[in-house]
Amino acid sequence: MPGKDYASTRFSGLRQLTPQNVGDLQVAFTFSTGTTEGFEAPPLVVNKTMYVIAPWPNNVFALDLTKPGAPAKWTYEPKPAAAAKGVACCGPVNRGAFYSDGRLFLNLLDGNTVAVDANSGKELWRTKVADINKGETLTMAPLVADGKVLVGNSGGEMGVRGWLTALDATSGKLAWRAYSTGPDKDALIGSDYRAPYPQDQGNDLGVRSWGPDQWKIGGGTVWGWLSYDPELKLVYYGTGNPGPWNAEQRPGDNKWTAGIFARDVATGHARWFHQSTPHDLFDHDDINESILVDWPAPNGQRIPALIRPSRNGYLYIQDRRNGRILSADPYGYINAYNGVDLKTGRIIPVPEKEPKEGRVVRNICPGPPGAKDWNPSAFSPVTGLVYIPHLNICMDMGIKNANYIPGTPFVGADVKMYPGPGGNRGVFTAWDPVARRKVFEIKEDLPLWSPALATGGGLVFYGTMDGWFKAIDARSGKLLWQFKTGSGIIGQPISYRGPDGRQYIAVPSGVGGWAGAIVSADLDERDPTAALGFVNAMKDLKKRTTKGGTVYVFALPK
Amino acid sequence: MSLRCPNSVLALAMIAALCSCDREERQTRGKPLGETIPTVASPDTIFPGRATPPPLDPRAAQYEGNASAIAEGQRLYNWMNCAGCHFHGGGGMGVALMDDKWRYGGRIDQIAASILEGRPNGMPAWRGKLTEQQIWQLAAYVRTLSGQERKDAVSARADEVSNTPPQTQTKREPLRPADSDQQ
Amino acid sequence: MQRGGAYLSLCVTSCAGVQNAFGGQGAEDANFVRLFAVFMVVCTVMYLIVSAALVIAVWRRRQATLTIEDRKHHETSAATRPALIVWTVLIAVGLVGLTIASFFTDRSNAANGSKPRLSLTVTANQWWWDVEYNSPDASKIVRTANEIHLPVGVPAQVTLKSNDVIHSFWIPNLAGKQDLIPGRVTDAQLLPRKTGLFRGQCAEFCGVQHAQMALDVTVESKAAFDRWYAAQLQPGRPPANPLQLAGYRYVTTRECSSCHNISGTPAGGHVAPDLTHFASRRSIAAGALPMNRGNLYGWVADPQSQKPGNHMPTVGLAANDLHAIVAYLEALK
Repeated sequence: MPGKDYASTRFSGLRQLTPQNVGDLQVAFTFSTGTTEGFEAPPLVVNKTMYVIAPWPNNVFALDLTKPGAPAKWTYEPKPAAAAKGVACCGPVNRGAFYSDGRLFLNLLDGNTVAVDANSGKELWRTKVADINKGETLTMAPLVADGKVLVGNSGGEMGVRGWLTALDATSGKLAWRAYSTGPDKDALIGSDYRAPYPQDQGNDLGVRSWGPDQWKIGGGTVWGWLSYDPELKLVYYGTGNPGPWNAEQRPGDNKWTAGIFARDVATGHARWFHQSTPHDLFDHDDINESILVDWPAPNGQRIPALIRPSRNGYLYIQDRRNGRILSADPYGYINAYNGVDLKTGRIIPVPEKEPKEGRVVRNICPGPPGAKDWNPSAFSPVTGLVYIPHLNICMDMGIKNANYIPGTPFVGADVKMYPGPGGNRGVFTAWDPVARRKVFEIKEDLPLWSPALATGGGLVFYGTMDGWFKAIDARSGKLLWQFKTGSGIIGQPISYRGPDGRQYIAVPSGVGGWAGAIVSADLDERDPTAALGFVNAMKDLKKRTTKGGTVYVFALPK
Repeated sequence: MSLRCPNSVLALAMIAALCSCDREERQTRGKPLGETIPTVASPDTIFPGRATPPPLDPRAAQYEGNASAIAEGQRLYNWMNCAGCHFHGGGGMGVALMDDKWRYGGRIDQIAASILEGRPNGMPAWRGKLTEQQIWQLAAYVRTLSGQERKDAVSARADEVSNTPPQTQTKREPLRPADSDQQ
Repeated sequence: MQRGGAYLSLCVTSCAGVQNAFGGQGAEDANFVRLFAVFMVVCTVMYLIVSAALVIAVWRRRQATLTIEDRKHHETSAATRPALIVWTVLIAVGLVGLTIASFFTDRSNAANGSKPRLSLTVTANQWWWDVEYNSPDASKIVRTANEIHLPVGVPAQVTLKSNDVIHSFWIPNLAGKQDLIPGRVTDAQLLPRKTGLFRGQCAEFCGVQHAQMALDVTVESKAAFDRWYAAQLQPGRPPANPLQLAGYRYVTTRECSSCHNISGTPAGGHVAPDLTHFASRRSIAAGALPMNRGNLYGWVADPQSQKPGNHMPTVGLAANDLHAIVAYLEALK
């Protein structure tokens, strides 16, 4: 599975590669997908086969690792509709597939979820769950647990209504759907729901915290990461931003957007919810990963917790049984908020940074991609540190009246992004969740849009947007090895033990996504507001990398 | 004519001349029933056996370089969420409109046809959601994003806040002549 | 004084009562009418004195034939000096009186506006008014267009914004003018004292249809206002017969839905007047046409002929579509 495990640690226990020998790492083989859109999905290695999932047109390749050069055993070509690319806000990407019980489950951009037989590549079922004519697409990696395939939609910039859907893994039929806005019966909030803080408890808050009818086009999409606790049988996920970005058009707290849900996987009923950013002003989705760990409380107890570096710049550690915040500390530069009130669980906004219609507010940090966007961090139980590849980006934002036409953007904002204090757009942080502080930090010129991988040998891997794939020491952060791949890296690196017993590291290389759209979609750098403002911060990217779509696999020489 | 007051005669003549000067024609109503965008305006196509491509739609001349049409097009560009995908010409979900790369043609009638019919790869079809007069106005505005219209017809700032400088102050690069037979 | 002022105003005005700056139905306008009366009286008295003095001077000049050589031309009448003193005192008293009257009027207006119990936001567009009733409970916000309903005796605070150019908010019967400036937020206070139907008007040139940018204002009892408000919170009435259904289908999927909003339907546009309760309004197109079936047909068929240059395009509807659309719109009470 993309997170390596249900707890989303992205940690590989393999220990062959160490800081001493990683300098000898070399390319073992490569594989070109033939597509040049943003390549985000990690390859999955199961039973001596590597499954590569490409962005649109979402082809899946099964590579036979037992043969030299890993030739493809079969290719699955789902042929999703090309028109879906017109409503995918941040590149027609795909964040991965899930392997379970001999089947691969993945989402297609045009709103279908499919199950594919892992041996033959034959499609077992295809279920349409999202409608591109309303602006919905599917980009996230599904999670399969308890016989259900959990799928969330994308489209928070298109005025869609967000949801998490569970399909039966065998038949593909709908089991339940939990909406992120609207009445309690749509959001599956029932009698077993207990919010950790009073502002999230009440009747039909998903209607009452919006202007009339606005919850129907309110966003809260579920396009990010899901984690699962098999003992509590709860699935944890975050909801996306409310729509439109122009917050003056949607007064109220806008529940249940920009917050974390814990739901019972069998019925979908919500157990608890915490809204990280009520009445979000800056596109601070909350879809980032939740890493499930047992956290040592000061009194010596071990609390089942979740750690999540949130988009609004705070790293939350919460008790995953009930949602209570144990700590919320800034891990990046923030001037838009004044902290999180731990008594009420509510973030404290800075009034001067609130955008008002008719004027541009400048220097808002963190910008719309937040202190960290979708690219997940890794946790190493060996060092006890969370490795976070993230951003240092601020913005100027002007809001204007947004018009709702289904299937077209519903944003209402004019944005320009630029580097934050220090001038570096990316930063790699190692965070100690117990001591609640940074252990080391690596400044990167370009934003870090690739996920991290931690290994048992004491290494951490990540990639930069101009194609450098790096290995650093997990304790000190010292750069030990790097390799320049053909295109910027925004995809998840993985580690696996090959049929010959060696430890392999694989990484997809193909720039794109929101930060890389200037290259993958060939945008014009003279318009600073293009790609929702990101182009202004990435004007140099076209000179530093080009499109690509290749998986690189590395190993130590035999 | 008497030449006792040559200055007044001259002044009257100048006034008369200026009054007949019409900067441009403004049509608020358009021609709702007769106005159709010819669907043969496809991207630069091969016309087997023809020496020259078919003539340009005469209505294109009415909207091309017409300041009021461009100003209306600028308003519609923001209202109809074109700016949500194409931003101020730089692109995003949609392609960049301010450069000289046109997938489906950069002439005004080709742009109007793209807006009307939609295009593969994600451009929505606006037939039935906008009147054809509005579509021609949008096409005229889109042409200005890549600097293909006269500078005195280009609209200044839109009514909304903008992080980009107004069009009248931005240097645009013109279309390369080799890209399209008719401009 | 009040009655004198009222008589004066009756003499002065002959315009219709709905858009009458001397109507005095609002607290601010009533203050204005009172102040106007004071000014009229004081200035009239001054005018009469000055005119009388002029007449006397001319008449006296004609009586005496004084020449330069006559040493007596410097002679000042015995009455001159005291007359001048009285005149100066009269002017001073008059000016001070007017200033004090202005001051008290301003104070009264400020006091009336200091504790608003109703809050509205009016956003001016070319050439229509977007009206939103604010509420601390976000789900109880009412949005309408080109009309304002106010409960009598309740002070209201109106926040004024503009989406494009400078407009001016003016309901003559209730209060004075206040500009709506893009990029700024201004406000006005209204305290209606009498029920009735009034008309507001944009008072700052804002483009080709500035003249047809009016507001229908209804001041009613609190109970009637609450009933109206509750009705406005309801979504648009669903179509009740096949013709209305055809109209509903057209309006929510074709050109209309690109710009207009009807709550409870897929039409969610935010750039044109909200049509959810369109048929309950007194006029079409910001006061351009009274609301009736004929005008509705004319407006929907060809808005550019009624209000040329406004942003609603002439679509060129087929006859059956026009019948269906009008049938549906008429039902949106």
